[in-house]
Amino acid sequence: MTTARPMRRFLAPLAFALTLITASLAATLPAAAGDAAAEAFVNEISVKAIDIISNKTLGRADRETAFGALLDANADMPKIAAFALGQYVRLPTPEQKAKYLTLVRTFVIKVYVTRLSDYHNEKLVVTGSQAKGTNQALVDSQINFTNGREPVKVTWWLVKDATGAYRIFDVNVVGIWLAQEQRSSFTSVIANNGGKFDALINDLTTKVASADAAK
Amino acid sequence: MTDHNMNSVARILNQSAKVAGLALMLSLAACATRPDPANPAAVQAYKEANDPIEPLNRYFFELNRFFDIILIKPVATWYDGVIPDRGKQGVRNVLDNLRSFVVVANDSLQGQWSQAGSDATRFGINTTVGVLGIFDPATGWGYPQHREDLGQTFGTYGIPEGPYFYVPILGPSPPRDLIGYFGDSLFDPLTYIYWDGPYTVPVTRAVLNGIDVRARNLGTLDQIERTSVDFYSTVRSLYRQSRNNEINNGKSDVDNLPDIDNLNFDTNEPQAVSPQ
Repeated sequence: MTTARPMRRFLAPLAFALTLITASLAATLPAAAGDAAAEAFVNEISVKAIDIISNKTLGRADRETAFGALLDANADMPKIAAFALGQYVRLPTPEQKAKYLTLVRTFVIKVYVTRLSDYHNEKLVVTGSQAKGTNQALVDSQINFTNGREPVKVTWWLVKDATGAYRIFDVNVVGIWLAQEQRSSFTSVIANNGGKFDALINDLTTKVASADAAK
Repeated sequence: MTDHNMNSVARILNQSAKVAGLALMLSLAACATRPDPANPAAVQAYKEANDPIEPLNRYFFELNRFFDIILIKPVATWYDGVIPDRGKQGVRNVLDNLRSFVVVANDSLQGQWSQAGSDATRFGINTTVGVLGIFDPATGWGYPQHREDLGQTFGTYGIPEGPYFYVPILGPSPPRDLIGYFGDSLFDPLTYIYWDGPYTVPVTRAVLNGIDVRARNLGTLDQIERTSVDFYSTVRSLYRQSRNNEINNGKSDVDNLPDIDNLNFDTNEPQAVSPQ
């Protein structure tokens, strides 16, 4: 048969391409399925956070208190605080550690209430998620603006606590991981002050105080 | 000016260049503050920062901040306040349109052919229908803007950025991106057309670009400065992270995240992550 051979020549690569497409689809399917629990968690947090920020009847102190409560309930602060110390995680004495944990919590609340103050009544829409290992997940989302501004991409890095519930470990806004940003400056302060942990405690105390004064 | 004058001017310039070079070398030598090798945490932190000439970088950082405070920020604030939004957008569009050659060249070098085609079409539309790039009809017609440069192209080839450099005026420029910056100017037709003249066009363009970029970041930079413990290292982290994000074209790289599974204050070995 003279027609069968060109036919086969055409079909073989086609079959190969189909196999490839099926294989790659199969590989992406688990990721595409996402993690419904993680997505629901992010949805819930974002609604609460936006409520706090856009509630103009709250004063700054009230807003900080509400934001702090949200953070305590939903973020893994000790893990974030440990991560932000980088290589110096075992440097602080128990007293310094206790002081540091309190300061870092206040600092984070003040920083993000300030940084988020530009947002009003925006909506955060979850766009997808993927599991990372057995007890972490990454949730993609974007903030849509009503005034035609380009949407801002936000990725949430969640980690399960001892009870198996998700908690926030880090948040990525337009490509910047916020805990990594803090880690860079915290470790830099310690390294540039002869490896003294108290230098970081002093700097954090000053920053928190000046944020209070600027109100 | 007489010949004699010219000579003495040249001599003075030559001498001051030598003095400046010597001073630079001395300060570089003084900068080599290596961590105590007996302290593993300090050594690890030093590697993570990947900033071997940090004191010099900090000096240039402060120098730039000084010029920012006395000159760039006031001009940018004025520009931001006086020029109407539509005018500023037009300026931004023209500047972006002029970069099209560089963007298309780098799309191609990265093998992103469909994006190269889209960006070339975009340039065609905005230069003609968009009146020399003042307006941006292309975005609405399905040819969105992309930002590519040679430093990013090198990044997609797997070339690391190298140790951190902070250069006066240019700002954060680790070797990969600094080389990329000069390489990009070779893709830029304006480089060849106006290089011999009085530099009016490239200088105007650079100054306008600087003012525009600064004007759009007035609030953001102020806020970051107020909310960071160490402004210098925060900027360093922001620069590196946003460059990596640009290189990955905004896709988050799940496998490259630090390992945090066993991270806590008491039991954890210090975590190694790439320089941030």
